[in-house]
Amino acid sequence: MSERRLETLKGFYANYVKPFYESAHKAEEEGKLVAWVASTFPVEILLAIDIIPVWPENYASLCAARRVSVPLCELAERKGFSKDLCSYARCVLGSLFDGESLPEGGIPKPDLLVASTCACDTHLKWFQVASRIFKKPLFLLDVPYNVKGASSENLDYRYVQHYVSQLEALAGLLEKHCGTKLDGDKLKRTLKLSNRASELWLEIQDCRKNVPTPMGAREAFSAVYFMLCIPGTEQAVGFYEKLCSELEQRVKEGVGIIENEKYRLVWDNLPLWFDLQFFQYLETLGAVVVAETFSHVWAGNLDPSKPYESLARKYLSNMANCAIERRIRLIAGLVKDFRANGVVLPTNWGCRMMTIGETVVKEKIREMTGVSSLILDVDSTDWRNYDEYQVKTKLETYLKTLK
Amino acid sequence: MELLELLKTLISADNKFVKEWKRRNKPVLGYVCSYTPEEIIYAGGILPVRVLGSLEPSRLADVYLPVNVCSFAKSCFNRALKGEYSLLDGYVVSNSCDNQNKIYDLWRHHTTIHKTYFINTPHSTTENALRFFCEELGRFKEWLMKSFEIEISEQNLKNAIKVFNENRRLLKQVYELRKQNPPLVSGSEALEIVLSSMMIPKNEHNKLLKALLDEIEGRGNPPKEGMRLLVSGSVMGDSELLRLIESVGGSVVADDLCTGSRYFWNLVRKGREPMMAIAERYLHKVPCPFMYSSEERFRHVREMAKLFGVEGVIIFCLKFCDVHSFDAPLLAEELKEEGLPVLCLEWEYSLSGVAQLRTRIEAFIEMLEG
Repeated sequence: MSERRLETLKGFYANYVKPFYESAHKAEEEGKLVAWVASTFPVEILLAIDIIPVWPENYASLCAARRVSVPLCELAERKGFSKDLCSYARCVLGSLFDGESLPEGGIPKPDLLVASTCACDTHLKWFQVASRIFKKPLFLLDVPYNVKGASSENLDYRYVQHYVSQLEALAGLLEKHCGTKLDGDKLKRTLKLSNRASELWLEIQDCRKNVPTPMGAREAFSAVYFMLCIPGTEQAVGFYEKLCSELEQRVKEGVGIIENEKYRLVWDNLPLWFDLQFFQYLETLGAVVVAETFSHVWAGNLDPSKPYESLARKYLSNMANCAIERRIRLIAGLVKDFRANGVVLPTNWGCRMMTIGETVVKEKIREMTGVSSLILDVDSTDWRNYDEYQVKTKLETYLKTLK
Repeated sequence: MELLELLKTLISADNKFVKEWKRRNKPVLGYVCSYTPEEIIYAGGILPVRVLGSLEPSRLADVYLPVNVCSFAKSCFNRALKGEYSLLDGYVVSNSCDNQNKIYDLWRHHTTIHKTYFINTPHSTTENALRFFCEELGRFKEWLMKSFEIEISEQNLKNAIKVFNENRRLLKQVYELRKQNPPLVSGSEALEIVLSSMMIPKNEHNKLLKALLDEIEGRGNPPKEGMRLLVSGSVMGDSELLRLIESVGGSVVADDLCTGSRYFWNLVRKGREPMMAIAERYLHKVPCPFMYSSEERFRHVREMAKLFGVEGVIIFCLKFCDVHSFDAPLLAEELKEEGLPVLCLEWEYSLSGVAQLRTRIEAFIEMLEG
């Protein structure tokens, strides 16, 4: 099946992820300002102040893929952090207690930390702990909860205003802390690049609507890296252009990412970072993931003439910050648009935000689309409670029931 | 002490005051978080009643929720499913934590309480956050007036503030009685007194508290002397755990609980426009750990430990409560640096793990006794 692998994604880690950590470490050595950033923080602001961002979440997934996350989690647990906390957080905190033999030399030390309350409590709390450990300031973007689950166009305007005023105040504090002015032109350029990357990313997703689909989850969970971390860069745009044209070619030729596509699945939440072979195993059963909710929450149309407002609209409507209706609409839409016949809802042991409400999602998706969902009890980073046999048996039984 | 017994019986969403209130066709509003601005509710002639779950197993809620969820939030939802909150005319949630926010989705989908409101409480205390919170409370007030067809005047708000502040002062007087050794009010009694204040009209509670304070000096059965402990944690809607501590030689003389000192420690300031004064009081109160930052709470714990002559601290972390669990090792470290012995315990909002807790608490107290 190897000839079906996408050319653009070959060597992704070596070509993009590894150099990213190398350059971040270099920046750290050169005394440039490095910030720890939690996802759902509008990183475009940091880039415009010349701050080098690094993502602890990305580092945790990297540690899981390299199968070192569990020993790191255990280090954090020994310091008193509960085993029930987010495994991303435990893994990264653990890495701070052990300087030796960490992948990519560990995550660069921060001069400052930035987080938003947009996604979950864990971002705020985890970063607060790290801020105390490093004795570096944490800048918090305090975001209202989108209790109606409104989309970016239908948001309560007062929430948008509040987000904007918070972001303005925060940008001021960051400028003061860093002694650098926010470069308005750079912000606009970044937003334009961000938009272009978003457009391409959505075109890439559109390609996956085809039967057979030219790309699966394994590729998507790598490729989403730019959308998640550094959307507003030339590198992101260049990469997505290449990927997009490769997929368009595949679609033209009618070549799917797997040979016999029997089941088309929507995958919610995170993958098992420690076992990305899992998606290959799915493929041996004739199942391919055509859409991940994770791939559909980071794109956003940003208006460079209203940078703060468009960032507000993008992040306030992020599924993680919303009442369950938004997640339900998103998944139901994916099922229809991508002609999926199954939905996998993996839980995440330390994640309240994604775990609670899965029963409602399951029930509503069936009502709206007629498609049944499978809830899988797993964790993205900590494999200690992962019962491979049980999970696979459940999955195989589920697939047999799909139409 | 008959009054203490009476107060204990009031810790229930269908106590005699609630029933009497309903009999007069007045609405009752359930709330779950100590950041709910009760003054505004009370000012509208609505009775705010704290939703406290119970320590019984949450069998119905288990159908909808997996294991890795806060057992307190689950228990509240379970009681709602069982119809045990049928006296409530509505339910208010505050933007406090992922557990509550996401279970609110389930309340909306699966319970019969249709009047629900979500207060978008900020997680920081900046000027910006305060302004937003004050506006948000304005929207909450509008919702109350429309949903329950009532008026809330400035004078009503001022009266409510007065009654609530008086209640807070009286509760502080009760806490004062715990500074002596042995304390005149035990930890479990103090918790029951505070819990009862959340369940009945505050003006009625003030009367009961005054009577209690008058009588208690001469009480015939004062609490026993024991190892002076502070208990830190989130919600404790039942005094069972504190009774357990007291049964093995502990004397809980102070607390950092959202159903204890964090509930009433701060007053609404006088001389400001009432809605702003209320917003300020709630946003700047001794914080729960979902707020940024936790330093103020840690300071509160250290200060209480000093004021109440505390000899050891027990931190109770509800399993799957992320915000407390991240704080626990930090708080423990700070207290140890001050020379205070600390015991960190994880527990579920139920009685199932009590035997294990007892063993560990007993060992901790023995260690303190040297």
